[in-house]
Amino acid sequence: MKTLVFLEHHDGAVTKPSLALLSRAARLGGETCGVIAGSGLKEAAASAGAFGGSVIFAADDERLAAPLPQPRVDVLAGLVRDEGFDTVLFAQSVLASDIAAGLALRLGAGLNWDLADIEEDGETLIGKRPALADSVWVDVGWTATPRLGLFRTGSFDPAETGGSAEVRDVTVTLEPHSQLAELVEPATVDEQAGPSIEEADVVVAGGRGLGGPEGFALVESLAEALGGAVAATRAVVDAGWYPYSAQVGQTGKTVSPKLYVAVGISGAIQHKVGMQSSGTIVAINKDPNAPIFDYADLGVVGDLNEIVPRLAELVRQRRDA
Amino acid sequence: MRPSDYPPPWSDAEAVTAPGDVEPIEVGVLVVGGGPAGLAAAIRLGQLIASDPETAEALGDVPVAVLEKGKAPGSHLLSGAVVDPDPLWRLLEGVRAPGDLPTYGQVPGEQVLLLTSDRAVRLPVPPTMRNHGNVVVSVSQLGRFLAEVAEEGGAVILPETVGQSLLVADDAVVGVRTGDKGRGREGEELPRFEAGSDLRAKVTILAEGTQGHLSLAAFDRFGLAGSSPQTWALGVKEVWRVPRPLREVIHTMGWPLRPAARYREFGGSFVYPMGDDLVTIGMVVGLDYRDASVSIHDLLQQLKTHPRIRPILQGGERIAWGAKTIPEGGFVALPRQLHAPGLLVVGDSAGLVNVPALKGIHYAVESGRLAAEAAWRSLTGGDLSSYDTALRSSFVWRDLRAVRNMRQAFGAGFWRGSALAGLATVTGGRFPPGNNPTESDASHEIFSGDGASSYPAPDGALTFDKLSSVFLSGNRTRDDQPSHIRVATRVPAELGDLWVNMCPAQVYETGPAGEDGLVEVAVTPSNCVQCGAITAKGGRLTPPEGGSGPEYTLT
Repeated sequence: MKTLVFLEHHDGAVTKPSLALLSRAARLGGETCGVIAGSGLKEAAASAGAFGGSVIFAADDERLAAPLPQPRVDVLAGLVRDEGFDTVLFAQSVLASDIAAGLALRLGAGLNWDLADIEEDGETLIGKRPALADSVWVDVGWTATPRLGLFRTGSFDPAETGGSAEVRDVTVTLEPHSQLAELVEPATVDEQAGPSIEEADVVVAGGRGLGGPEGFALVESLAEALGGAVAATRAVVDAGWYPYSAQVGQTGKTVSPKLYVAVGISGAIQHKVGMQSSGTIVAINKDPNAPIFDYADLGVVGDLNEIVPRLAELVRQRRDA
Repeated sequence: MRPSDYPPPWSDAEAVTAPGDVEPIEVGVLVVGGGPAGLAAAIRLGQLIASDPETAEALGDVPVAVLEKGKAPGSHLLSGAVVDPDPLWRLLEGVRAPGDLPTYGQVPGEQVLLLTSDRAVRLPVPPTMRNHGNVVVSVSQLGRFLAEVAEEGGAVILPETVGQSLLVADDAVVGVRTGDKGRGREGEELPRFEAGSDLRAKVTILAEGTQGHLSLAAFDRFGLAGSSPQTWALGVKEVWRVPRPLREVIHTMGWPLRPAARYREFGGSFVYPMGDDLVTIGMVVGLDYRDASVSIHDLLQQLKTHPRIRPILQGGERIAWGAKTIPEGGFVALPRQLHAPGLLVVGDSAGLVNVPALKGIHYAVESGRLAAEAAWRSLTGGDLSSYDTALRSSFVWRDLRAVRNMRQAFGAGFWRGSALAGLATVTGGRFPPGNNPTESDASHEIFSGDGASSYPAPDGALTFDKLSSVFLSGNRTRDDQPSHIRVATRVPAELGDLWVNMCPAQVYETGPAGEDGLVEVAVTPSNCVQCGAITAKGGRLTPPEGGSGPEYTLT
């Protein structure tokens, strides 16, 4: 088996879900390589090697500066053809989904998406896909190679192997039709300080118990102290207290930080499915019967208005000491 | 205070429009709704097309199209259900063997129980409720099966597509405009926006099920309303995997409903075996009830704690949940006619349900079949009114006429109602004479009672809260779409409470009362499983973006 992992990068750094997928793929049998495509990305390519893989292919070209899918489809299709990769894996994102779909069409290959894990059974590769609102696991396979897979973010943690991969330059040849699109203006949505909720090691989430949009000041302050990102429940997003992009849950984002602090969140199952794979779950709620205490590792019953500011202060003291 | 005092910001005229300038998609017969009625119509049309390809040429390249608002046919289908299979077998004769029908076998035996809080008294089975020869089905599975047969017959099924408005030109229905997709919360176009299309058809068959969005609009536009308003019941049901097989079909009356006339609590429960390892249990209550604290979801939870019921589920696991309204007005609430130029209305959309027999699926199938034949006749100069004529001379009409006054009798409370219904049964519907009118569900005075005081707290094993139930329905509706629920947003506390408690999916919440004594109603439309209770009780459900709502598979 020969596996290629697409490494997406932003602002010169490879994204956490891409690195996590690379380290997962490196544990599969056969050879695992990564590919990074962009402009001026030598350092990013070198750093990725620490997460597994024997070779990181670097397609460094001015024409790849904009995050457009078609030129990247050209790069990946060329690698599959020249290097004989039989498996290409992606960490889900808007860009990765576009590339995966384009590559599937270009190669006439099968694409399984929304995967949460992957297993080997001899030469057969089995994708694990949660279905029916994550209540059951479905095994999915491929009938032919190359096999394409798109993975949910938050499915794995990046694990540094301590190794270093060889960085190999790729000669970039683009199809004429792949160069027709140009980036007019990059759009940024809900500009936020700090890491995104899908990538942060610490997520502090606020729910209805905050009492109003002003309650998010507490959550933001604690997140800042912990160096984490701010998330919100559907109820408060619905009520307009916080932007949709921060919504965690069944119909929002799925996160798996090392630490998840739920502030004033009752923890209905719709919320649980978006964060249950977090490392440590801490819940602060005044209602001792709130369902979140059934699956929190540490539950604090009390007034969040007293607890959260003091907690933030203690964290700051420790941090600064 | 009556719910009808606070009407929703909605007019049925909003669901009627002239054809647009855009290029329409031409189909022959357009069926709106992939349930038993619509799919029966599609299947029958397929048979007629095969029998006479020359006439079928008039239907064009897409002779039959079926709109389905759920992810797939069956996704939004929910019923008991014990079905009289004869109309299905007639429809499928020569296409499928009777054994192919997805059923859980014939009704093995049956019991009707009158419950008190701790006892169950076995009653003789009323003639209207006898189920000998009938079969237990999941209507969701039946829908998927019928969709397969319809597709084999050439029908094109369009899932995740809602009928948003009726296209009317020169006083005739000429098709349907489908709903937009990819709009944001305020109606703005998101990057993935896709405008709806105009589907133009020679005949449009509305088979939308209970409280059809376009059907209600069509009744209004063409003045089809009958002599009495339609009324509804809300049914909430669960499917359980159980360790011990249930060997009987059980219906219950009485507890946890209250018999006094002032509550107007008419209804009961059903417990059906689905093979050896599944049991379905449901609670159905008329939406003319008056106590704002009543929650039918919680009545079902309470029912399960009864000493006669609990052992059936003991050691089992709940694997499905769902809710839906049922038209209960019966004969007197039927539209005065079921056709208009270019239009036919079938099944639950027309109100073809026999309440005392707890059945409507066989009427849906029969009316769909008759509608298909009328649509076919219209291609060779026939008139769509032949559908009404055929339906009126069918068993559907005969059955419904015979039981026309039974449901209304229960407005006088359980005991008087039972006596009157008994009289109606033994006289074959001749007594009471005449037609007793219905009153709309929203027109009854409501009050804040204590119905909720005895509901059990959810224990997560036998009894469950609403949100975990909605989760089990498979509902994962996109949050950032416009609200499809129209309700008054400042109402008296009793009405706010009524909606909060009635809704099985926790869609409504109210804030504290303002200076004017009114409360603010907050709506979470993405929880909605499209049961339709709000339409009966002072609001109006409209279709959300196609593909939204529950994904029923076993209900």
